[in-house]
Amino acid sequence: MSIAVPISSAEPPVAVWTQTDAAHAKISLAGKINVYSLGGVWTQIRDAQDAWLKQGESQSLVLDASQIASLDVAGIAFLIGVEEAQKKSGGQFEIQGLDSKYQPLLQEFDPIGNLFPVPTVKPNRGFVVSTGMATQNLLDDARGLITFAGHLTADLAWSIRNIKQVRWGDFVNAAVEAGIAALPIVALVSFLIGVILSFQAAIGMEQFGAVSFVGPLAALGIVREMGPLITAILLAGRSSAAFAAEIGTMTVNSEVDALVTGGLSPIRFLVVPRVLAGILVAPILTLFADIVSIFSSMLTMQIYGIPFINFYNGMLAAVDVEDILSGLLKATLFGVVVSAMGCLRGMQTGTGAAAVGISATRAVVSSIVMIVLVDGIFAYISYRTGF
Amino acid sequence: MDALDNAIDVQNLTVGYGSNVLLQNLDFSVKNGEIFVILGGSGCGKSSLLKNLFGLYQPIAGDVLIEGQNITTAHGAERQKIMTSFGVMYQQGALFGSMNLLDNVTLFMEEYTQLTRDQMNLLARCKLDLVGLLPYETYMPSEISGGMQKRAAIARAMALDPKILFLDEPSAGLDPITSADLDSTILDLSKNLGFTFVIVSHELASIYSIADKVIMLDKDAKGIIAEGDPKVLRDTSKDPRVHQFFNRIMSKDAA
Repeated sequence: MSIAVPISSAEPPVAVWTQTDAAHAKISLAGKINVYSLGGVWTQIRDAQDAWLKQGESQSLVLDASQIASLDVAGIAFLIGVEEAQKKSGGQFEIQGLDSKYQPLLQEFDPIGNLFPVPTVKPNRGFVVSTGMATQNLLDDARGLITFAGHLTADLAWSIRNIKQVRWGDFVNAAVEAGIAALPIVALVSFLIGVILSFQAAIGMEQFGAVSFVGPLAALGIVREMGPLITAILLAGRSSAAFAAEIGTMTVNSEVDALVTGGLSPIRFLVVPRVLAGILVAPILTLFADIVSIFSSMLTMQIYGIPFINFYNGMLAAVDVEDILSGLLKATLFGVVVSAMGCLRGMQTGTGAAAVGISATRAVVSSIVMIVLVDGIFAYISYRTGF
Repeated sequence: MDALDNAIDVQNLTVGYGSNVLLQNLDFSVKNGEIFVILGGSGCGKSSLLKNLFGLYQPIAGDVLIEGQNITTAHGAERQKIMTSFGVMYQQGALFGSMNLLDNVTLFMEEYTQLTRDQMNLLARCKLDLVGLLPYETYMPSEISGGMQKRAAIARAMALDPKILFLDEPSAGLDPITSADLDSTILDLSKNLGFTFVIVSHELASIYSIADKVIMLDKDAKGIIAEGDPKVLRDTSKDPRVHQFFNRIMSKDAA
């Protein structure tokens, strides 16, 4: 009895499965055997072979390759797949009529057992191990932060003593990029915050007939808190991420290693100019944000019939120079942590393209965490000292 | 073998960036099954020429025909069809960093063929085996050395068994044994399966053992200064630049 199953494909018939009996079968290959023509055919032949292999023992399969027009590596992989299935069930396999030019390539894969490794399963970490590793990572991160802070302080001190050796060109570039280029977005956001703050306050105060106090309240809030905070968060989103990506790419390209092996401190070379730029830019941007916010608040209060001059006088009574200085000092600290966190995450970049993206994300997240932390400490100190 | 004799025809090609012309009026062809090597000193435009050949950059002037199809004017589906007829290995490997080696090789198969996951994996293992990387199939590109990344990139370029392979400095940075193994794989694929190779290379030993034909480019001449069998060029060329290159003579001695 003979069953012939023609199997069609893009380039007609590529493979035919012929089963003589339970112990003998034949695959005839013809035409161009390649990665495209094998789609589907491969599965059908292997399914037929598996069904047949279940029928008996020590079966022998012959592959007739005499009609092959061309065979590529995909074709050879197919032959190997068939042979492996045959071997696994203890049967015989023979290729007949294969052009001798394909033999060297076929021999490249000998023994074929090497191509069939057991799929590797990723080790599943238990709860204790995971917790331990997380703790270890946290401690490592804290140690990295403290070491970095120490190095940065030392190199900043060195730079003050050797002021001419600071990379002033890099400082100017970073300051322009983080400062002047940020003016439009800082203006937009602080304008809107001024409007929102005044409206929200006015809605509440109106019920008590205290709309005239909204001006002083908003101005004080802006100068002491909102101005520095908005600026710092915008700096974190723009510049901290940019520093991390820039230094991160340098780390991936071994440029940071090149500085180290050249005997130069990467912190002095890359981090100091950027942190100095952060120190310069953050208070200036904050002052700018304060002015824009207060102006927008003034405009908003016009709607409630508060003239500019009343708003101005109320503001002068409520806001001291001390308040402005306190806000600017806080902004300076924000500038330090934001630029330093960006640089630190950049220097901690791993390898590969994805690592730079991860560093930029980490830079923004840790900058914002640090901003909140510094703000909290500052609020406590202000409360205790009255500054 | 296809009716067409030439795998690649380059007609009157001018390569450069904007007004900066690197090479002009190039005319050459690569025969089917040939191992064709592009030589020349650093900065003479070898890699730029290669990028023009496989259609990554648009030439300033001229045409490149791949198996008779003009890649410089093709668009859409026609262009995609030409693109799948060759494989490219970039100088730095350019493996996808977020995938392990096996997935790097199977990616193009997933998109273009109807093979099942198991079949693609077996095929990808064969390709990795050919470049000697089978034990590293589950490694990420960042976990292996630069030389291994190049070999993995060759395996990826071969994913769809293209008839033409463009390799940009495949043996640079490889140890001599791996480099010789790679040469023998290239010879195997070319002689037995009829693959055509276009290779940019500096490695003289490798060039002598595999190249059927070389062209040598020159920065000042902005074109081809020598063409033919590398051993013949080494022994017979009268051109001092060619003689110097093949015999590794320092520039001050040649002057």
